[in-house]
Parts: sequence; C-alpha cells; structure tokens
Amino acid sequence: MKGLIVKDFINVSNSFRLVGVMVLFYGAISFLTESPGSFSGMFTLIFAMFLFGTFSLDELANWDSYALTMPLTRENIIQGKYLMMLLLTLIGFLVNAASLLVINIATKAESIFSGFEVPIGGFVIVIIFYSVLLPIIAKVGITKARIYFILIYMVPFLLGMLIFKKVKEDNMVPPERLMDVLEMVKDSIYIIAPLVMIVFLGISYSLSVGIYRKKEF
Amino acid sequence: MSKRFDGFLLDKISFNVPSGSIMGFVGENGAGKTTTIKAILNLIYPDEGSIRIWGNPSNNLSMDLRAQIGVVFDGSNLHDNLTLDNINKIMKNIYYNWDQRVFYNYLNSFKLPTNKKIKGFSRGMKMKLSIAIALSHNSKLLVLDEATSGLDPMMREEMLDIFMDFIQDENHTILFSTHIINDIEKIADYVTFIHDGRIVLSENKDELIYRHGIIRCRKDEVEKIDRSYIVGIRENNYGVEIMIKDLDAFKRRYREFIPEKTSIEEIMLFISRGRRD
Repeated sequence: MKGLIVKDFINVSNSFRLVGVMVLFYGAISFLTESPGSFSGMFTLIFAMFLFGTFSLDELANWDSYALTMPLTRENIIQGKYLMMLLLTLIGFLVNAASLLVINIATKAESIFSGFEVPIGGFVIVIIFYSVLLPIIAKVGITKARIYFILIYMVPFLLGMLIFKKVKEDNMVPPERLMDVLEMVKDSIYIIAPLVMIVFLGISYSLSVGIYRKKEF
Repeated sequence: MSKRFDGFLLDKISFNVPSGSIMGFVGENGAGKTTTIKAILNLIYPDEGSIRIWGNPSNNLSMDLRAQIGVVFDGSNLHDNLTLDNINKIMKNIYYNWDQRVFYNYLNSFKLPTNKKIKGFSRGMKMKLSIAIALSHNSKLLVLDEATSGLDPMMREEMLDIFMDFIQDENHTILFSTHIINDIEKIADYVTFIHDGRIVLSENKDELIYRHGIIRCRKDEVEKIDRSYIVGIRENNYGVEIMIKDLDAFKRRYREFIPEKTSIEEIMLFISRGRRD
C-alpha cells in the first residue's frame, strides 16, 4: 500500500510547487491587509482538492484495473485513498497553521494562535466533505461523481440560502428551543465536531470498501 | 465459467494452461478474450464456475502468488506524468520481490529513457515498459492481453523473442491473448480459440496443424465427404476449399482427395467464417 501513497504523492508533487507560490502570494496579501482569516481557510481546502487530482489521473490511466493485478487487495486501494486524503488534509492544515503563525508574529497579533479555529474547522469540514464523496467516487468513478458533488453540495447550499432569505424577509424568529440546542452545540463544538468527523469517516470507509469489493473493471 | 453482460455471454468456457508452456489465446475482436483475462485476474466476477491459478482459486490468491504474476494490458495503464525512476520507486513499494537491477537492465536494453515522462513515449515504448515491469518481479506467469497489437512487425518480433527467452525457464508460463494469429504460430505451444464467447478448441498447436488439412475439389464432390470431418467450407469461382479435421482417418478413408498442409490462421478462419454444409 505504501507504493500507492508514493504514486499519489509523485502525481500531486507538481502541483505542490504551485501551492508554494500561492502561499507566498496570499501570505503577502494577508500581511498587507492584516487579515489572516481570509487566507487561512483556503489552504486546507486546496490541499484536500489534490485528492480529486489523484482520482482523475488514476481514471485517465485506467490504473485501478492494473493495480488490482499486483499484490494489492481491493481494501488496500481504498485504504490508500483514505490515507492520502488524511495526509493531504493534514499537510494543508499544517501549512495553513504555520503560515498563520508567521503572519500573527509578523503582524504582532494579540495572540500568535489567533484565527486558529479556521484551519481546525477547515480540517474537520474537509474530512466530512470527503467522507460523503469517497463512496460515490468508489461507485461511479471521479468523472461521473462530479455531477453528484454538485447535487450533494450545491442543492443543499442553495436551499439553505433560500430559507435564510425567506427567514430574513419575513423577520421570522427561530423557536427558543432550537436556539438552545444550537447554543449547546456551539459550546461543545470541540467535542461534537471531532466525534461527527470520526463517525462520518468510519461509515464512509465501510461503504467504500463494500462498494469497491463488488466493483468490476 | 460463465459471465453474462448486456448483449454478450461468455458461455461455459473452460481451458487449461499447462505450466511451462505458452498458451496462445486467440479470437477475433469482441470474441471474449479480454473478458476472460479479466475474470482470470479477478477484475470481473464469473456468474458461475471457477478459475484456478497454480491450483488455488483465483479470487483468493495469496499476495505471495499474486506477486509472481506479471500482467501486460493493451495500453500502459501508467500515469503519463511519471518517469521511469518514479515507476521504479512505486513498484518497489508494491512488489516485495521487485528487482530494480533487472528493471533497469530491461530499460537499458529497450533503450527507454529513465528521466523522460511517459507522455512522451510512443505506443511501442509504452508496451516495452509494461513488459519490463511484468518481468522485473520474478514473475512465473505472464498474462499478456493483446500485448503485441498495434506494434510494428520489427518491434513485435523483438517482443516475441523476449517471451521466448522468458519461457526457457521450465517453471515459467505465458497466457498470450491476441488476434494476431501469426504471433501465435511463431511462439505458442498450445492454442485456445474463442469465438462468440465460446471455446471452440484448446489443444497443442503442432497437433492442431497436423490433424487439419485443406482439400480443393468441385462443389458436387462435397456430398461424398462425411460431415464429421468438415470444419468449414469456402466457395470460390473454381470450386470449394474444405478444411478437414482428423486428417489421418480422412486420408485412409478418402484416397481420392489429396489434403494440403494448413496453418492456425486458416483453421481459425474456416471455423469462424466458413460454412459447415
């Protein structure tokens, strides 16, 4: 399985150089505008997006059917992708956190850890995002899966926007109990978010393995 | 084993690849060669039946045994942005038995540049690379799916020489699927012919040629011949050509006909294109 990780890292390594340039570019903007927040969320996401690239390249080369003739199980192929997803998200988080530290020190921010909730939140969101998508990619491949991404993420997003607009226009007041629940979630977010992330990840992995075991090439 | 798809059926196919030999797996495009190979490699699942490799179910082969199978598909299946050094790095982390010395020797003898990306390679170079990979992990079984198709005659010849070298070790075996029957005539010990998802024949190549012959005669003479000897009949302006099987028995029974030698290619053509009566 190590070979699969090596393969994916080699495949995305060309894009890493581009990220280096972007870190410098956005870092400079954040430094000049003294707003590390605008910069922060981006990198976790950018690194995570590299995973799509590895799927696309695999599909283009018809890699999976070749890899499955090697001493690799179907589980290994899925494990490789989940591990790659975690590694890329982690790298994104670390680059993000390190850049924030540098900017906070350079701008003499109140705390050197100021704005750290953004990369941490980004990490959790990206893992949940991929947990939903990876079983779909395992089922239909990356090309078809792109259509599902739009349905899964854009439709709820647009619906949310519509509801928000409606609530705002009608000056509706949310029920008190809902507000209480949201308040409680907000207070315990540092416990709830990792738990949700782990549950999503676990279910997602089991689904992907189940789908991939039955897949024919 | 059998496998049904929309509009295609692999129908109870069965054959055996003797260890230490080259089995030519032939058939026209769409006959079911690749599907059969995919089933052997556990990339698709048979609806019924089973496949065994070295006596073990192919869907439950140990990683040890899988590492001893070299596969070459019709195409490189490798990412275009990789260099050969990259591939060496990847494969040595996948195959416990990867031999990078052998790999670089092959690259050297195939004149493949190690620092150039695969996207700059010709089709022939990509095929050579796939073959180099298949031969660089002490494979005992080579499964080649149309590995020589699309190559020019010189390069095909070169590839066939490599397969002949490989088979010199009596523990080595090759299953070689192709629609280029000429390649099979050159190197195969056995031939399996698949037609419309069915195995028509699977036997020793020399015996197959020895047991068949062509006779040329008038149309009205066809009636004289027992149908059980006829593989196929082809008509032309001068009369008919008949592919005969069980040649020795035929010769003893019909002394008035003088059969001529034939080839695998002609046998296949008579089976797939010729009529029976």
